[in-house]
Amino acid sequence: MADFSWDVRSPLDRALVAGPYGAQGEAGVTLTEIRNFDLVQVMARRGKAGEMAKAAKTRFGVAAPDKPEAVGAADATLIWSGPDQFLVLSKGGKHTIEALGPIFAGSASLSDQSHARALISVSGEKARAMLAKLSSIDLHPDVFGVGAAAATSMDHTSVTLWRGADRGGQAAFNLLVFATFAESLWHTILDSAAEYGVTIGHSEEF
Amino acid sequence: MAADQANRLASGGLIDRSASLNFRFDGKSFSGFKGDTLASALVANGVKLVGRSFKYHRPRGILTAGSEEPNALVELRSGARREPNTKATTAELYDGLEAASQNRWPSLNFDVMAVNQLFAPIFVAGFYYKTFMWPAKFWEAIYEPAIRRAAGLGRAAQVSDPDHYDKAWAHCDVVIAGSGPAGLAAALAAGRSGARVILCEEDFVPGGRLLADGGTIDGLPASEWVARTLAELAAMPDVRIMTRTTLFGVYDGGTYGAIERVNDHLPMPPEHQVRQRLWRIVAKRCVVAAGAIERPIVFAGNDTPGVMMASAMRSYISRYAATPAKRIALFTNNEDGWRTAETAIAAGLQVAAVIDARPDVSPAHRSLASKGGFPVLHGSVVGVNGGKNGVRKISVSLTGGARAEVEADGLAVSGGWNPAVGLTSYHRGRPKWRDDIAAFVPDGAPPGMVAAGAANGAFGLGACLREGFEAGAAAARDAGRSGNVGSMPVADDEAFSLTPLWHVAGKGKAFVDQQHDVTASDVELAQREGFESVEHLKRYTTLGMATDQGKTSNVAGLAIMAAVSGKSIPETGTTIYRPPYVPVAIGAFAGHHRDENFHATRLTPSHHWAAEQGAVFVDTGLWKRAQWYPRPGEKDWLESVTREVNAVRSGVGFCDVSTLGKIDVHGPDAGAFLDRVYINAFSSLPVGKARYGLMLREDGIVYDDGTTSRLAEDHYFLTTTTAKAGLVMQHLEFCRQVLFPELDVQLTSVSDQWAQFSIAGPKTRDLLREIVDPAEDLSNEGFPFMGAREVALRGGLKARLFRISFSGEMAFEISVPARYGEAMARNLMIAGKPFGVTPYGTEALGVMRVEKGHVAGPELNGTTTAGDLGLGKMMSTKKDFIGRVMAGREALVAPDRQVVVGIKPVDKARRLRSGAHIIPKGETPGPDNDRGYVTSVCFSPVLDQWIGLGLVERGRERIGEIVHAHDPLRGEDYDVELCNPVFYDPDGGRQRG
Repeated sequence: MADFSWDVRSPLDRALVAGPYGAQGEAGVTLTEIRNFDLVQVMARRGKAGEMAKAAKTRFGVAAPDKPEAVGAADATLIWSGPDQFLVLSKGGKHTIEALGPIFAGSASLSDQSHARALISVSGEKARAMLAKLSSIDLHPDVFGVGAAAATSMDHTSVTLWRGADRGGQAAFNLLVFATFAESLWHTILDSAAEYGVTIGHSEEF
Repeated sequence: MAADQANRLASGGLIDRSASLNFRFDGKSFSGFKGDTLASALVANGVKLVGRSFKYHRPRGILTAGSEEPNALVELRSGARREPNTKATTAELYDGLEAASQNRWPSLNFDVMAVNQLFAPIFVAGFYYKTFMWPAKFWEAIYEPAIRRAAGLGRAAQVSDPDHYDKAWAHCDVVIAGSGPAGLAAALAAGRSGARVILCEEDFVPGGRLLADGGTIDGLPASEWVARTLAELAAMPDVRIMTRTTLFGVYDGGTYGAIERVNDHLPMPPEHQVRQRLWRIVAKRCVVAAGAIERPIVFAGNDTPGVMMASAMRSYISRYAATPAKRIALFTNNEDGWRTAETAIAAGLQVAAVIDARPDVSPAHRSLASKGGFPVLHGSVVGVNGGKNGVRKISVSLTGGARAEVEADGLAVSGGWNPAVGLTSYHRGRPKWRDDIAAFVPDGAPPGMVAAGAANGAFGLGACLREGFEAGAAAARDAGRSGNVGSMPVADDEAFSLTPLWHVAGKGKAFVDQQHDVTASDVELAQREGFESVEHLKRYTTLGMATDQGKTSNVAGLAIMAAVSGKSIPETGTTIYRPPYVPVAIGAFAGHHRDENFHATRLTPSHHWAAEQGAVFVDTGLWKRAQWYPRPGEKDWLESVTREVNAVRSGVGFCDVSTLGKIDVHGPDAGAFLDRVYINAFSSLPVGKARYGLMLREDGIVYDDGTTSRLAEDHYFLTTTTAKAGLVMQHLEFCRQVLFPELDVQLTSVSDQWAQFSIAGPKTRDLLREIVDPAEDLSNEGFPFMGAREVALRGGLKARLFRISFSGEMAFEISVPARYGEAMARNLMIAGKPFGVTPYGTEALGVMRVEKGHVAGPELNGTTTAGDLGLGKMMSTKKDFIGRVMAGREALVAPDRQVVVGIKPVDKARRLRSGAHIIPKGETPGPDNDRGYVTSVCFSPVLDQWIGLGLVERGRERIGEIVHAHDPLRGEDYDVELCNPVFYDPDGGRQRG
């Protein structure tokens, strides 16, 4: 009796076709799906927000966000997701729910969301113009700087949106979308981006 | 070959004479230039007749040069892109443009329906209401279709729009409507302050009236000043000038609607581009610099082709170098109208006469008249001779009573200017009357909005610049921007003198609303018949209700009403102003959301695998779920579903149930929390066990059900129905945050984290033993009914296994992280192959739950209690829970409630259908005898007949009774027997075995 193989398949596995899409010429939008990540929801237990923050500081070396922002640590990003709660996003295997369990024992409840979201990075000269078709958030550089985050919706779909470090001199935005909605939103994104020309890819790296 | 633009001036105009464009109107070829509108190109080609009117089919020409146009409406483009009622005055000319006139048959020149004019005396206001009252049933079948054929405008394309539209958000400190002198000055001041500015201009060239009327600003010719200003604005990174964009509405919280005609100026949008884009602009402040609309004077024959607004005539001559007439008469009641005489003379055209309704004319204009060699007639136009080929002669009634006739082929009319008060009035604002300009001006505006320039009643160029600049500076300041605004652009103010004149009495039809064929006598008739309020006037006569929304007619209409009712114009008042300012295509509002993208969809983790298997999908909420998996040779869905049910009942099958809502409930008080939201206890549930739970609404009615498992002391895994997943999450968050903040409990939706499959059938354990690590004990003792725990799978993956059954068979649900969902489906097929494993869809799932008497959506329908569902005994008496008290209300515990019962047809061969009503045998169907209805039905392969569940009054006491099923919708009547709802394995031995 042979062992079964357990292939991992991203929710965008079928929809994502790497390469150019839409208008020809230099692509205005780059879409990259990040496929290998751990995502853990951390929610403070009643009256334990301080302890949770202390535990986060010890583990990640940075203060957990207490307002809508994404805080970059050495090998993780902590993204505010509500009062006294945040998401820990990291490259697969770095900060799994099993690894974080003892860290937050007693101070927070953890819930694994690693498979519950797709992670899409949007960059390029027309990234803001394209996102303006999907999001009601003001992404002007003076308003939505590096590290700004929002729990918002795109195309009637809940997303977590934040601005990561600039990429090649251009702003880069990340969005986490619920896995079962991902393909639907992906098509909407392509539809919105097509006029600018798109470079599509996926990566295991952040 | 294209005609030769005989009415084009040899030089001048904002047209590109090097770019000749060919177009067709009613099949005839013409040419024009880049920079033309369809209207200006038609003017340049001497086309005067462009359409037939709505009701009387009167010949109509071009009245205006802007978006207020009531007459020059055409069908633009052809086939699927045909756009009816497109204003020729705003349609940008492109090479290959095709347009057709509307509302005429067989041709524009010879329109059979023009016979309607002979019946004009009976086609007055209220004609339909008075004439087509009897017999009432004729309205839909005969009268309305006939009227629709005879009256109306363009034809819709009747096929799907091939173009794309989208929607976008924009954010700024100051949004400005209009790029005339006031709008540009506002943009300058706000931009220099450092504000983020969006300037919307509906035209394809910024400049507003400066484009036609010129002037001197800061010592420069207007065109140079506009160019300099645009260059300065373009250098500001946070100033965005959006041409072809109309700001059409203002909504709550400083949100504005704008429509951008991205590619309407091309035959079809370039690949990957949209035709139009709907903007939602969020702005801290808004400056309305939308200008003013010149208003007509109502007189007999005022709709003759060749009668044109004076300012429009200037636009055609100056901006487009196209001459609407060779010998022009001007009828004005104000100083501004005279500009048209100046423009005509400057362009080398003849002025036949100026008819001025005012007692005096300025010396400058007197000398213009003597230099130009034309008479100034004090009086009013009382009639126009002419027809479809244009104006020939104008009759004038001179002050003092004498008559004069003027030979001319064009008549320019100016009755003064109405500020565009739409945007400022869209939050139920009512404009106020100003006697000095005889016009309504904004009286306040929605929060954050201010009007400037002509839109505010300031008609002089200097005043427009001043008001615009000051409004722009103030708006930026209010938005927190404090940069140096620099110097204000300066220009002189022209004199503005006007003697109000709305209507000249005379013989023949005098039109107020040309698009809807409403005449002055219709307004008078409305007053006589008691429809004196402007809102009644509007609806009775349809004045202002056409696609132009009465931009040139509303004020004249209410002025005439004021005169005949003996009231002042401000006493008479205006109707309510409502957005959009110009028509906006529904396609733009829909944007991306059409066809298969009408709403977002959700796919299960095994979706693509199921698609490979040929599954038929059904929309359940946003989800696409596999409904059944047809196999070659199966002739219908019933055959496939029956096969799937039999395969499960006799062997093993599996179904993706990932659509169920899944919620992690964490914390030391998780059990206590669940005790309060469910009717039954969960704090007593041991770790490693699952329990079916039922929750009520506050009012005692059942809200949702599902199984909840205890995975650790402080961790429960709660499931909901597919339909209520989001609502239950909201409900629980409300309970946690608002009702029970004292409990230490945390909630997270994990619906998308887990791929969950139900595996069911007597061979379930055999299949699982193939795929689960052999060290795991799956025996009845090692994994009893309602057990729940993590297990290792072959190949190293961990899964959660729950021994729960919806089908009534020996069954497990297995869940793995979602990205393994597709692998799980494939591996279940491999593991189950020796046992004939069969994937099944939602139909088979539904059949098995009906056979088993499990309630689902049709029974948990928002009207039923736990008792109604046969689950009353689950209600704990030892604890409080949401809905407990209200569930005890008299009506909710009454013995005659409709409760769940099984239903089977007396004739075993008969098909049951949901929705049939239950009537006692022998009684006449009707509300008095209605005892309930059939909620769910299926064909039961086990019983080889149709069975169902129903909600029937006192149903449990009536088991065994033969009653009547009455189905008026399908015209069916038959007898059924009420029975135990558990049709299959009533003692539950199979699922426990």
